[in-house]
Amino acid sequence: MKKGFFRTVFFLTLVGLSFSLVIGQQNPILASGKPIVIGGSLPQTGKFAETAKWIEKGMRFWAEEINAKGGLLGRKVVFKIYDDESSAGKAVTFAEKAITVDKVDLLFGGYPGTAARAVMPAAEKHKFVYVSMGGHMKSFEQGYTYSFGGPPLMGEWWYEGFYQWLKSLSANQRPKRAAVYTMNNPIGTSLIDSINRMTRDLGIELVINEKYNLPLPDATPLIVKAKQMSCDILFANGFFADGVMTIRTAKALAYNPKAIVQGVGSVIPAWIKELGKDGDYVFSGTSLHNKLRYPGNDTLNAYVKEKYNLPAYPVYFGFGYAWMQTLSQGVEGAKSLDQTKIRDWLKSHTVHTICGSMSFDERGLPSPINFCTQLINGKVELIWPKEIRTAEPVYPKPRWK
Amino acid sequence: MNTVLIIQSLISGIMMGSVYALLGVGFSLTWGVMKVIHISHAAFGLLGAFLAYSLLQFWGMDPILSLIVSVPLLFFLACLIYHFLIRPITQAKEVIVASMILTFGIAIILENLMLLIWSPDPRLLTISYTSKVLVLGTLYFQYPRMAGFLLSAVGVLVIHFFLKKTYTGKAVRAAWQQPEAAQLYGVNLSRISMITFGLAVSSAGAGGVGMAFLYSFEPHTHNLWLIYLFLVVIVGGVGNVLGAALAGLIIGVITGLSLAFLPYQWVNLLTFGLLMVILVIRPHGLFKGEV
Repeated sequence: MKKGFFRTVFFLTLVGLSFSLVIGQQNPILASGKPIVIGGSLPQTGKFAETAKWIEKGMRFWAEEINAKGGLLGRKVVFKIYDDESSAGKAVTFAEKAITVDKVDLLFGGYPGTAARAVMPAAEKHKFVYVSMGGHMKSFEQGYTYSFGGPPLMGEWWYEGFYQWLKSLSANQRPKRAAVYTMNNPIGTSLIDSINRMTRDLGIELVINEKYNLPLPDATPLIVKAKQMSCDILFANGFFADGVMTIRTAKALAYNPKAIVQGVGSVIPAWIKELGKDGDYVFSGTSLHNKLRYPGNDTLNAYVKEKYNLPAYPVYFGFGYAWMQTLSQGVEGAKSLDQTKIRDWLKSHTVHTICGSMSFDERGLPSPINFCTQLINGKVELIWPKEIRTAEPVYPKPRWK
Repeated sequence: MNTVLIIQSLISGIMMGSVYALLGVGFSLTWGVMKVIHISHAAFGLLGAFLAYSLLQFWGMDPILSLIVSVPLLFFLACLIYHFLIRPITQAKEVIVASMILTFGIAIILENLMLLIWSPDPRLLTISYTSKVLVLGTLYFQYPRMAGFLLSAVGVLVIHFFLKKTYTGKAVRAAWQQPEAAQLYGVNLSRISMITFGLAVSSAGAGGVGMAFLYSFEPHTHNLWLIYLFLVVIVGGVGNVLGAALAGLIIGVITGLSLAFLPYQWVNLLTFGLLMVILVIRPHGLFKGEV
């Protein structure tokens, strides 16, 4: 009787344990073990805070989703996010702290490129997988083996889509004379190579090619020069503050080039919100867009619409989400939190994200991604490649009203 | 010689410099009269810009008209801050150092409050005349810049005449020139300092609106504006209202002209190089220090 009773209790306990283990894989409430801590820093204050807040929101939405599905490797994920105050130096300090003091399980990608570039060697030193936008091409050519651009935001690729679209126009439709104004920092200067190649290949004369240090005190002389020299395409390679100043001055001085290309500043929602119609018709580039037809984009758009009352997700929301998608697929593929196993899995497999499928080369980069965008009626539309086009490009740019 | 480019850059520089002047005048006053280096001065300027932005967004109030609300509000707030925070540290042995530390803390608090209220999003003042220009021959005069220029000119002149022509203003000057003698003549130094601080902070609010006519702004922008404040005061001389005004114009003109003549990446180097040269040659500024 006693023996039978203990046998039954033992059997029931075993069944209970097995059940809880199986359910724990799917149910966040029953997920077993300590949560997986993903650490690092973002510029929550300072000049990059506006963009970074969307990255964080994208990351947190990914966490919400994965926790609802039972977590990563059956464990809930939580973030430990430090505010690096828009300083690349502090980003490195916090990455080191996250790895060595907090002993986080995974590292998330920082922003902007200068911070990512600075964190990459620290990640390499500690053998931690680091999926981020990267700090442009040079940072991926340092021989790091644990860093991945998944997807990257490469200045060198930024205008590739625009170049391809411009090439598709007949020679007499293309602009003839270019004015290029570039902020003097790694993000700005990484755009220059592609502009040089583009203008050379398409026979566009590079009339002005100048760099300026931030903050730009005044855009008037820039626009006066471009207008006087009859430049019919303007490349304004700056952030938001200098970008809007350039656009407003162009309008005030009635400077009407055929096309305005604004690399970085125009991709944040504030550009449309604050500039209104004046921000329209600006060309840019991206490696991610909310109108791409890859799985997941619709879910993100629906979430952003409900939560933030935006028509579609801002591009940096998507980046935050996509970097976490890549990292989590590496973890799930490796079935482990062992950083070297995650790295090896990512190097030898394809990940599927909201910006498409990516396989990484020895530098940690996928094949070049190049979508050309244009702001039309306050919306970022995909212009090139043609097969993913969401609106016809408006070219030449209508004259200022 | 490209005459149009030079004149256009000069006009633009003067308008830009005048706004720096209005923002810098109050900073110079608190430094000169009270020996307080008011690090949160630019943050109050930014608060003025945010108030103008919100009044424009919610009630369609023109930013210049919004000063009717923000200037008294900032004056009152400054008087409270003076009474509870600044006055106690004026008894400190090292007033300048203590004031810098205290007002640095106030700047951080203000920045965080602005982050909470307005979020880190960058903002622009977009008014009915944002895109309007007055065209005279080949020259363009942008309305928002002209508005900033006029606001600054009026602001600096009002402060100047207040100090020169009113009884309270004369008391402020007396407190700056001979504090002990002023006290013997019945000037209440504490009250005068409070008025000076209030005047300085409210002029910062007006200067902030002027800056918002030119630039986009976000809660941390005051750190950048603070650099221009130091530039204005060091060039113009501590405590000198007209000196600060002229310094603003000089800086604007140098910036404008160097943008016309030099490669753009040299402009900040030249402007701040100028600051260092002045510090070496005339550590008290180009103009004689007098309120």
